Amino acid sequence: MKRVAYVIGLPVVLFAAWFVLSAGSESFYAPPLRQILQSFGETWTLDRLTADVVPSLLRLLAGFALAAVIGVAIGITIGLNRRVRATVEPVLEFFRAVPPPVLVPVIMLFAGIGDGMKVIVIVLGCVWPVLLNTVEGVRAVDSVQLDTAKAYGISGPARLGRVILPAASPQIAAGLRQALSIAIILMVISEMFAASNGLGFTIVQFQRSFAIPEMWSGIILLGLLGFALSLLFRLAEGRVLRWYHGLREAQRRS
Amino acid sequence: MLEVSSLKKVYRSGQREVEALRDLSFTVDSGDLVCLVGPSGCGKTTLLRCIAGLLEPSSGTVRLDGREVSGPPPGLAMVFQEYGRSLFPWMSVRDNVELPLKQKKLPRERRSALVDEALSAVGLAGTETAYPWQLSGGMQQRVAIARAVAYEPSTLLMDEPFAAVDAQTRADLEDLVRALWQRLKVTVLFITHDIDEAVYLGQRVVMLSSSPTVVQDEITVDLPAARDQLHTRADPRFTEMRTHVYEQIQKAKRAAAI
Repeated sequence: MKRVAYVIGLPVVLFAAWFVLSAGSESFYAPPLRQILQSFGETWTLDRLTADVVPSLLRLLAGFALAAVIGVAIGITIGLNRRVRATVEPVLEFFRAVPPPVLVPVIMLFAGIGDGMKVIVIVLGCVWPVLLNTVEGVRAVDSVQLDTAKAYGISGPARLGRVILPAASPQIAAGLRQALSIAIILMVISEMFAASNGLGFTIVQFQRSFAIPEMWSGIILLGLLGFALSLLFRLAEGRVLRWYHGLREAQRRS
Repeated sequence: MLEVSSLKKVYRSGQREVEALRDLSFTVDSGDLVCLVGPSGCGKTTLLRCIAGLLEPSSGTVRLDGREVSGPPPGLAMVFQEYGRSLFPWMSVRDNVELPLKQKKLPRERRSALVDEALSAVGLAGTETAYPWQLSGGMQQRVAIARAVAYEPSTLLMDEPFAAVDAQTRADLEDLVRALWQRLKVTVLFITHDIDEAVYLGQRVVMLSSSPTVVQDEITVDLPAARDQLHTRADPRFTEMRTHVYEQIQKAKRAAAI
């Protein structure tokens, strides 16, 4: 109960402040929150949610999942092989430094403006934190654990699946968490460039047609979505990495 | 039977060469329990890794049951000093013990029988579903011993397994090792820096010199086979032998200092 209060306390205060301070707002671009909330209910009907929010979410999940698979697979390959790592790492640092939104116009040139383009943009942005964290995680696997695996003949797929991947999983999860927030940003940005549906597209449409309260309501919805997704991620992580949090706790106590 | 003959290991890094093992030869007969003691930094770990097939010697050979070791030999199980890092924290106690057996492609019933047997042999029946880190240090090392026992090795290699547990737990674990050894008739090579422990546990004690390592001396422990912490350690013969081992180790240290 107390924890819940801590979690929602500040957001409630901020929202209330916004509500009160904007109540008498005359500005066309910053309408009162009451008006925004009103239009929230009117705008985000079930039809709209299936027409715009669902496609956005599907692109986001497809891009995120692909990035996770690709990032982990390449990350393990690089992390396990010192020579490959030495060759590839400088190039990786370069690619990671390129801000992914810059790639949108380029990717549009050869991937068109369909769903494929948006998924590619998300993948290209998300893959780096996953990949680099996986490399780090695989490199940092405890040498005693590796010796143990070797001494007991644990090799091949079992070594990978039962030893290296679980050992690297806390670090991989950290990469995935970063990737998730990047994915949300890129989902919106890719839809702002060229799209016929989606959250980003809808928000830009509202802005261009001076439907300002609707635009604000879209931004609030985006915020809520991001919050819900990171909450889901935290829940999933807590389940999968239960051993890790328990281990950390045990180490702190001793 | 474990035969180590003229084992030599030189580490190279750039231009520098460090000779860890110079010329080591000793044998452990089948079913024996032999303790290796040496001053700290005497290359025990290097030797152990060579025997376990985790490290390639520069020259010389290790033969286990007549076959030359060139990779981790199937009949050998190892208990590491760092139990906390050797057990996999993402697996339950049962899974930790069972994983090597899965790799051996044993059928399910056999695996579960072996796991149950090994866990009850080390006094851990009932902890199957716990994670290793939920157990105390001594219990974790028992899990590691159970894993080694379930593997059904002909030879058990123990690398200072009790260096990180408290003295009372240590005494219990020493008795456990002797009991398991007598029951399972495995060959045990036990590495330690604790002289009392070596004399208490071993049938023979092999003393190593400082690095670059050679065998400094060797004694047969002629204490009765039934040993217990109270009487064996009070036995004048025990004291005599531990004094002898102690002197040899001191000699090795002095030789290294010159």
